[in-house]
Amino acid sequence: MKLETTLSGSFPKLPLTPGAPNVRVIRNRMDQGKATEKDLRDASRETTRRIVSLQESAGVDLPVDGNVTWDDAQTAVARGLQGFTIAGLIRYLDTNTYYRQPEITGDVKWTKPVTVEDFKAAQGMAHRPLKAVLPGPYSLYRFSRDRHYKDPMEAAAAVGEALAGEAKALEDAGATWIHFEEPWLGRATAADAALVRAALAPVLRGRKAKTTIHVPFRSPHAVFAAIKDLPWTAIGLDLVEAPEAWDLIPEVPAGRTVALGLVDARNTRLEDPAHVAQEVHRARSMRSDLSWQLCPTASLEYLPVDRAAMKVARLTEAARLASANGG
Amino acid sequence: MPRGLWTTTVGSFPKPPHLEKARNQFARGEISSDQLRQLEHDATIEVIRWQEEIGLDILVDGELYRGDMTTYFAELMDGFEISNPVRSYGNRYYRKPVATGRVRRTKPWTVEWWKFAQSQTKKPIKGMLTGPYTMMDWSFNEHYSSREALAMDLAEAIREEAMELAEAGAQFIQVDEPAVSVRPEELKLAVRALGRAVEGVKAKTITHICYGDFDLIYPALLDLPVDMIDLEMANSRYDLLDRFKQHRFTKEIGYGVLDVHSHRIETKEEIKQGILRGLEHLKPEQMYIDPDCGLKTRTVEEAREKLAVMVAAVREVREERGITA
Repeated sequence: MKLETTLSGSFPKLPLTPGAPNVRVIRNRMDQGKATEKDLRDASRETTRRIVSLQESAGVDLPVDGNVTWDDAQTAVARGLQGFTIAGLIRYLDTNTYYRQPEITGDVKWTKPVTVEDFKAAQGMAHRPLKAVLPGPYSLYRFSRDRHYKDPMEAAAAVGEALAGEAKALEDAGATWIHFEEPWLGRATAADAALVRAALAPVLRGRKAKTTIHVPFRSPHAVFAAIKDLPWTAIGLDLVEAPEAWDLIPEVPAGRTVALGLVDARNTRLEDPAHVAQEVHRARSMRSDLSWQLCPTASLEYLPVDRAAMKVARLTEAARLASANGG
Repeated sequence: MPRGLWTTTVGSFPKPPHLEKARNQFARGEISSDQLRQLEHDATIEVIRWQEEIGLDILVDGELYRGDMTTYFAELMDGFEISNPVRSYGNRYYRKPVATGRVRRTKPWTVEWWKFAQSQTKKPIKGMLTGPYTMMDWSFNEHYSSREALAMDLAEAIREEAMELAEAGAQFIQVDEPAVSVRPEELKLAVRALGRAVEGVKAKTITHICYGDFDLIYPALLDLPVDMIDLEMANSRYDLLDRFKQHRFTKEIGYGVLDVHSHRIETKEEIKQGILRGLEHLKPEQMYIDPDCGLKTRTVEEAREKLAVMVAAVREVREERGITA
């Protein structure tokens, strides 16, 4: 079976070449009153086109739109859901990036599409189906400060239901694969298992689209037993920062997909595609009843754009080598 | 009469537009390094003047000659290259150091700037450095086999600079470690690296930490081997005080009362309330009042207005509580 390549989360927004449409420049010009919202929208669309094209040129099988309009990994979606307000800036786990902390200040509900317009625009630029990306419900719950619900289970489930509404809207817009970025699953303990299920179950229930639960930075081993029977299609593992995640591969239910995070999204050091291909072979030799994807460990936006582009090229080269060696 | 509630800032100030323009011109080769340096000197003098006018007790040079807080140092060291820009949030980007060889200090980084700034005022100027753990954590590493090895080499380099600052007369040396708030499992490494960086340094030592999950690292944070820990309080709505209730804060504290990511100018009353809440858990002689973080993301006008309100609030609290500077 072909090894499918995909990306996780966001992609750097700056252009590789000087003079290309640049959202950073436009936003600075907007601050000075020299550019308009339309200028920003146009630059964002051109940036999305560039990101999709880069992936397609490199041969990525399941590209993403790069989340060009997002300020961070949480608030673009939280802001569009009922029940959230957006508070102060806080560091995004152990990355040197930041997010504005969502606060739950009322009943959390999905009331209107949040990411669909951007997804449809990006899909219109692509020659193959894109993977839609959303924050994982457990992570959005954990990244938020709950000032409303008395019961954490109720809060986690409400966040899950709200994101399920967005997932449905993406499906209705044509998304065939939806990726949920779940860094907090790697920090959950066994005591969090019920909360994790409460958050995740709604977004996976009755999905027509295939789904990925991607866990960057750490291994979700503490709660994997609690989520493995949920109806996700793929589990994404960070096998670079969290090599202990290799131990989960024998635990994955037959017929599912493992997205092997073998290209380090947090270091500029470039991987040797042959070595990555060997690691793919190692995974395949562990199980013959699973499907496989190859992906970066996390969002490539932790890298400068030149290195991110090189990593995409290494990723697809590694997949080519692995496919040549392993069918 | 108790003493305390000294006022200071966390380090960086906004660059005036003409200096930003000059830095861009320099990057494009349109002006010389001497021309840029003259403008940086003039702007530093101006920043010191307005800190004095506002009435701050402990001043900084404003770091107007620096870009990012890690990249500035990495550019002056052996063993680092600098990446293309990486986004940190929204429309904010920075160029990240890349360790491509053994890192070491080959020349002073800030000592001449500190001497220049101190020559402009009778008030103390803080020496401002970035800590070894943060330098390590915020760099890409293409050379070292472990995070620890990189952090400890950085600690040696930073210690050389801190010693030289102290020898030059710096009474306060701040070694910022904002990265320690996010990896509690590495707090011991951060303590060891910072401990080496300030070992034998004859000055009041400070570290600044911000924008992390303090539930993860408090009270272990108090193990950091410095005299003062500077914390953002306003951004988290003074929630940290609840932790101090459970476990007393035992060091001196830089007590942040200004949200540096907001254009809004705080009211004198809200700052006073923040300080008074702090005084329920801390002694005035423990407290240095300052913004949550560096002010470089604000405009010059916003920074001045915010600091002026802060100083006014502190004066009122001092008067009401009979506290002297």
